[in-house]
Amino acid sequence: MDDRLRETLSAMMDDEADELSVRRLLSHDSQDEVRAQWQRWQDVRDLMHDGHSPAHGMDVSVAVRELLDGRGSATARPDPAVQDNKASRWHWPAAAMVAMALLVGFGAGAGWDSSGAGPVQPVTAAAPETSVQDQPIREIALQGLDEEQWEYMSRYLLEHAQHNSVGAGRGAVGYARLVSANGVGY
Amino acid sequence: MPQAFIDILRCRALSVLVGLLFMLAGPLPAAADEDEASVWLERLGPALNMTSYRGVFVYARGESVHSMQIAHRYNDGVVEERLVLQDGGSGEIVRKGMNVVCVLPETGRVQLDQVIPSGPFAEAFTSQLMPVNRWYRAEMKGEDRVAGYDVVSLALSAKDPYRYSHRLWLEKSTGLLVKSHVRNAEGEVLEQFQFTSLHIGEDIPDSEFEIRTKGREISRTLDEPTPAASVVQRMNGWQLGWRPEGFMPAAAPRSGKGQAVAFSDGLAAFSVFVEPAGPVTMPTGASKIGATTVYMHQVKEGDNAFLVTVVGELPPQTARQVAESVRIEDSLALGAGES
Repeated sequence: MDDRLRETLSAMMDDEADELSVRRLLSHDSQDEVRAQWQRWQDVRDLMHDGHSPAHGMDVSVAVRELLDGRGSATARPDPAVQDNKASRWHWPAAAMVAMALLVGFGAGAGWDSSGAGPVQPVTAAAPETSVQDQPIREIALQGLDEEQWEYMSRYLLEHAQHNSVGAGRGAVGYARLVSANGVGY
Repeated sequence: MPQAFIDILRCRALSVLVGLLFMLAGPLPAAADEDEASVWLERLGPALNMTSYRGVFVYARGESVHSMQIAHRYNDGVVEERLVLQDGGSGEIVRKGMNVVCVLPETGRVQLDQVIPSGPFAEAFTSQLMPVNRWYRAEMKGEDRVAGYDVVSLALSAKDPYRYSHRLWLEKSTGLLVKSHVRNAEGEVLEQFQFTSLHIGEDIPDSEFEIRTKGREISRTLDEPTPAASVVQRMNGWQLGWRPEGFMPAAAPRSGKGQAVAFSDGLAAFSVFVEPAGPVTMPTGASKIGATTVYMHQVKEGDNAFLVTVVGELPPQTARQVAESVRIEDSLALGAGES
């Protein structure tokens, strides 16, 4: 498979492939190879999201071809990844990272950081609450808190930081935690 | 420091010494490495207080970064310190011995009064000789240069999954901490502190320790650390069923109502707050700001609900385990029904 085809395939993953290139891809000689590549990427992507791969072992080429030809019959079941709206595109930020952290399994949640106040609205990948220690921990995004809740939480942060500040043997680090907890930047 | 506490520390110190003797008996290279690291660690505390220095450092956790200017001197046995915020609103903290004066920006959403260190402080931490080696594997990581000074780097890797690992950079001649990282098990840096400019051992004039920022000044005298016995009093009404090995009760922050107790293993610290659930409903779960985890959950005891909060430089799993081990034993002692 040449690079152009690979690019098309990649674009399809992102729901950004144009019709011509998709046709070209579908008429490629070794469809097995194309399918295999598609599935590999699909698997990786599903792994990033929730770990199951509905696309595995599914040949979507017929359905896609039918769709392109305007024969979108009831039997044609286009691949969800191709049909999905933009929301399901390859999101590298929070969601994927959270899923990844959960998959990796150790200290689930250790990879995320809810303090991010960037333009990307953080995704609260709330795991179901459970008392089993190995289960993922429910994450509370700081941005999701209302004013009162934030006040409440920051009071605890401060009291802890205060306790750390002068004595904890870390000198300036303790002060820095204190100032950082003052809420600047959140 | 209370006598009882000192006695405990002496015992600890003795066990560390015995441990060191065993290590020396077996001439393992790793042991020698740990040995060297211990020597550096012992210098850390005194160096932070008894070295005179000034400079600018950067502190980053989560996505927030702060830089602060610091002047610190040790004059006739009294620690004098002045910190000036370099970004965001203007503000400063000046400390002379046990007196602290704060002028902090109003930009934060938290009341100024709350920011002031209100003790009793864990002053004991600095002089505590914690058997850090028992919970962390100490390893020398070679030499480097930070802010123009030659430094040695040591890694303190957590021996269990209950705590984070630390990496410290100490200036070679004084042992002053000039850079530090807190990392999770994956090696990701969650919190970092680093001097970007630094002058050690200079004579710093008195004028460097005066408040210059205009604004509401709040001064407070740090309380003497409370006797260890009062930890039991503070835990009146509730019990902690589990905490990671090595975390010892330390002087605690003072909470408005309800009960707070702090624990430290010599490097990391966490605070546990138990209060009657107030009018504000807090979600159950963990929030993370860099290396700091806040875990909150509600406990029901009869008709009363209590909010248990664990704040500390701990992995979320540990914070949860600690929070969930809190058992309410006496609702009245916790002031239930008063709010």
